[in-house]
Amino acid sequence: MPSAQEAYAVEAHGLIKQFGSRRALDNLELTVPRGAFLSIFGPNGAGKTTLLRALALLSRPTRGSLRMLGVNALEEPERLRPRIGLISHRSMLYGDLSAQENLEFFSSLYEGKPNHARIDELLRLVELDHRRNDAVRTYSRGMQQRLSIARSLVSNPDLVLLDEPYSGLDPHAVDLTDELLGRVREQNPQRTFIMVSHDLNKGFAWMTHALIMARGQAVFTGEKAGIDCDAFRELYLATVGLGVA
Amino acid sequence: MADRMPGNEHRPSKFAQYRALLAKDLRQEIRTREMLTSMVVYALLVLTVYGAALSQVGDRVQVVAFAGGMLWALIVFTSLLGLNRSFAHETESGCLEGILLAPVDRSVIFLAKATSNLVFLTVVELICVPLFFIFFLSGAELAPTTPMIVLPLVVGTVGVAGVGTLLSTMTIDTRGRDVLLAILLIPVIFPLLYACVSACSVAFVGVEGTFGTFWTSLAVAAAYDVIMVAAAWGLYEFVVEG
Repeated sequence: MPSAQEAYAVEAHGLIKQFGSRRALDNLELTVPRGAFLSIFGPNGAGKTTLLRALALLSRPTRGSLRMLGVNALEEPERLRPRIGLISHRSMLYGDLSAQENLEFFSSLYEGKPNHARIDELLRLVELDHRRNDAVRTYSRGMQQRLSIARSLVSNPDLVLLDEPYSGLDPHAVDLTDELLGRVREQNPQRTFIMVSHDLNKGFAWMTHALIMARGQAVFTGEKAGIDCDAFRELYLATVGLGVA
Repeated sequence: MADRMPGNEHRPSKFAQYRALLAKDLRQEIRTREMLTSMVVYALLVLTVYGAALSQVGDRVQVVAFAGGMLWALIVFTSLLGLNRSFAHETESGCLEGILLAPVDRSVIFLAKATSNLVFLTVVELICVPLFFIFFLSGAELAPTTPMIVLPLVVGTVGVAGVGTLLSTMTIDTRGRDVLLAILLIPVIFPLLYACVSACSVAFVGVEGTFGTFWTSLAVAAAYDVIMVAAAWGLYEFVVEG
């Protein structure tokens, strides 16, 4: 059971990210309970990826407070890094190394040496154990995405961030990715997922919570249970019309 | 998979992470030979151009007098090619972000990348410096001090690898990064280059009474290495996360 302090996976208050004169995040307020699946929607330039990068600790907010999994993310990012995984449309894998070598490398960064038991488990989970010794560049895009999911789970994270995970996948690979994400979710109900997607149907199908962003701000936040699908779609389409920050 | 217990955070040793990062770079290069092949081929082409340029110089003593400068021009331009390639694998599929997601001290990433660049530059020098001697200095009467060029070569290569790693990280996400790296690197390493050319020239010529210059140049180059590599190490976090 998470402690009361860890009831929320993410608590962001007054989050600002400034790039020169442009505010990519503008006083964003966000709370995500542990175990939730938050889908983030919004037009291009709304600040979705900037928010995800801040949550992945790849970019430091200019101002505001950010607490994740009970830890102050701005003061103790090193404590949080092993607890956060990121799946992106970029695989973050070395094409000339095999699946096994890629996972061994990333596992070594988290644990000092490869955790072979975990690597075996992950390769079985993503159904790539039969291709573990093949160079990643010989994999299809869908296989690379499955291995990318395994890479993101190598440290057994409590928070998984997904940045357009379906980008560039064919319909069959999308189905396989869906099936795999379902299995990953089932493994640990306390694990929190935050997904940025342009695909309203996919985002809506997965989410327990929704966030619609525009111009760096939260236009709408809410639980799926209280959301009318048609009204949500209309709101989303109206938001997309707001354009970039 | 078991849920992680709050507070139960295992921190791997920095040395283990350094070893993993370095092993990954070496393994990848051994497998693809992308960086080494392009650097060695480029160095051979430069040597060919040198051969054409010096074909009309009959006096070998003249060649010895500016051998230090020629050698360092070869090393610097070959290094530029290698340094530009050194981050290619990291940016192609966003691998650098994958590394930055992990709890790795950013200075460890710098140290591992600088070490791998140093290894690759050293391998290229081990191939090209003997060829330089064979092509241009085989007929010349070499001073007994010539083997001392190894010292400025080692000190200079450390500096080029260290500063080059920082600057190539700064330019990875820029347009025209190949040119930009050259524009940044050459002025920044100029004191090192000048000191190493000076030390190598003294060693090649071997005139008695000039060895004070050799040691002074070597000391300047070593001081440059210490200051610039330490600065690069300290600044790397801001650069790589910028």
